[in-house]
Amino acid sequence: MPQVRLRYFALFREQAGCREEEFATSAPTPGLLYEELATRHGFRLGRAQLKVAINGAFADWGTPLADGDEVVFIPPVAGG
Amino acid sequence: MPAFEFSKAQLDPAALARSLADPAAGGFASFEGWVRNHDAGQPVTGLDYEAFEELAVAEGDRIVAAAMQRHGVRAARCVHRVGALGIGELAVWVGAAAAHRAEAFAACREIIDEIKHRLPIWKKEHYQSGDSGWVNCERCAEAGPAHADEPAGDARFDYARQMALPEIGAAGQRRLTAASVVVIGAGGLGCAVLAALAGAGVGTLHVVDDDRVEASNLPRQPLYTTADLGRPKAEAAAQRLAAYNPRITVHAHAVRLSAANAAALVMAGDVIVDCSDNFAAKFLINDTAVLAGRPAVLASVHQYEGQVQVVRAESGGSCLRCLWPEATRDGLVGNCVAAGVLGPVPALLGQLQAIEALKILLDLPGQLRDELLLVDLLGVELRRLRVPRASECAGRCTRIGPAAAETPAAELEITLPLAAAAAQGYRIIDIREPDECHSEPLGLTGHMAMPMATLLAGPAALDPDARYLLVCTRGARSLATARELRAGGCRNVWSLRGGLLHAAGGTQPGRS
Repeated sequence: MPQVRLRYFALFREQAGCREEEFATSAPTPGLLYEELATRHGFRLGRAQLKVAINGAFADWGTPLADGDEVVFIPPVAGG
Repeated sequence: MPAFEFSKAQLDPAALARSLADPAAGGFASFEGWVRNHDAGQPVTGLDYEAFEELAVAEGDRIVAAAMQRHGVRAARCVHRVGALGIGELAVWVGAAAAHRAEAFAACREIIDEIKHRLPIWKKEHYQSGDSGWVNCERCAEAGPAHADEPAGDARFDYARQMALPEIGAAGQRRLTAASVVVIGAGGLGCAVLAALAGAGVGTLHVVDDDRVEASNLPRQPLYTTADLGRPKAEAAAQRLAAYNPRITVHAHAVRLSAANAAALVMAGDVIVDCSDNFAAKFLINDTAVLAGRPAVLASVHQYEGQVQVVRAESGGSCLRCLWPEATRDGLVGNCVAAGVLGPVPALLGQLQAIEALKILLDLPGQLRDELLLVDLLGVELRRLRVPRASECAGRCTRIGPAAAETPAAELEITLPLAAAAAQGYRIIDIREPDECHSEPLGLTGHMAMPMATLLAGPAALDPDARYLLVCTRGARSLATARELRAGGCRNVWSLRGGLLHAAGGTQPGRS
């Protein structure tokens, strides 16, 4: 079971109630990881509205997760 | 100097601009994003910016570098605030310096657009009500896969893609479902408008057209098939649209637009879309929409060119008569029958009308207003010309404010037998249409006959020293016309209360 480091921003930070956490996941990909976390923290955003970054770079939802990865789910942005 | 960076401190735009100074640069453009005091109709008191800084800086550097390379600018940078910001504060600054202005503008525009859409930066708005919300996130959550708040209906026609737009969401879709649009004319323009609005889920559509489907219509009017030849267009279009989107209601009006029915038709819509092919109809639609206080989206097509004008007289905007004070007579310039037309031209112009109608219904930014959009599809050019409100707009939109339009009926209506009114010196104007005047004559001599639209189009013909009494069948049109003329500054017009029906003791048949 890979141990990943999750960082939360904006809406996810508020819903998760923390800025980051270590999490042991059985999910092989960030897509399934998000589904686990959505149940755990009550995230309401659908996957279609999100992007994911692994170790500081945008990644595909099917990228295999490795032990020690830093994973950030990115809700819809509103810069400017 | 980093291409992209965050700042927790206030920005100094003058210093930022100086940092891009370059002796070889002849043009410098900058963009400043400020914190505004409202969003989607809610008063905003301040906001917090939060960013995933490592990723945003890396991506931001890439965005600036790509824009510099694509547009050949000499220097560019962007600084974005994070933390708590108050109203009016500078939230983001973009600058680009280039040899010429065009590259500087283009690079600046590209950088801000990319940054808004791509960088992991979030904005939490604090509202006057005490609430707060993450911009784009809350509404997207509503529009999530379950469509929890989507208007109930047939899942075979799914608005998910447009609801994914942050400006629309479930709330916007509900607005469209509740909206009604009247489309006058179901030809080349009308087919495009109707298909687009039906697809977007405008809940109620009214199709107004008294023509029948002809073989020469089919190349540019894809709502009809060869099986529809000879059928009333309104009926065929309504049937096709209802089959296309079973979640909406479509009403067919196979009637010719006239002064007698214009007000009732226009009042049925939140927005009126003019897809007519003649000037008489365009002026009537304009005038009726102005009177009724309804937004109208006008368009016309000539060969490979077209024009779009959005009339917002209800909020002080200019109208068709600000551009053309006197109604243009049909026949002076060609219509499609005489001049010819190629299908994509009305189709594109119709789509432009549809997006303007949706922008109004959804309160989206960038609405056309006080301008004429000129579309040239041979030159592939779009131009926007300013059309300010004209002070001599046939006495119309400059003076037709809500207050003026509200002249009470008691000050406008007179209850008198027609003969007595004439004896008292009132000059009688029969404002009914010629066919009505013919079938039900007034029974007077010495009166004037001038249909409503004609009178509204040329009130200057009235003698300022005379007193005029307007007459129609039931007194509704004459009251509206008198009110309109009063709003336009004519103090000497009245309406015969109850119209001819009242004068004749209520026995006369006829239109309202």
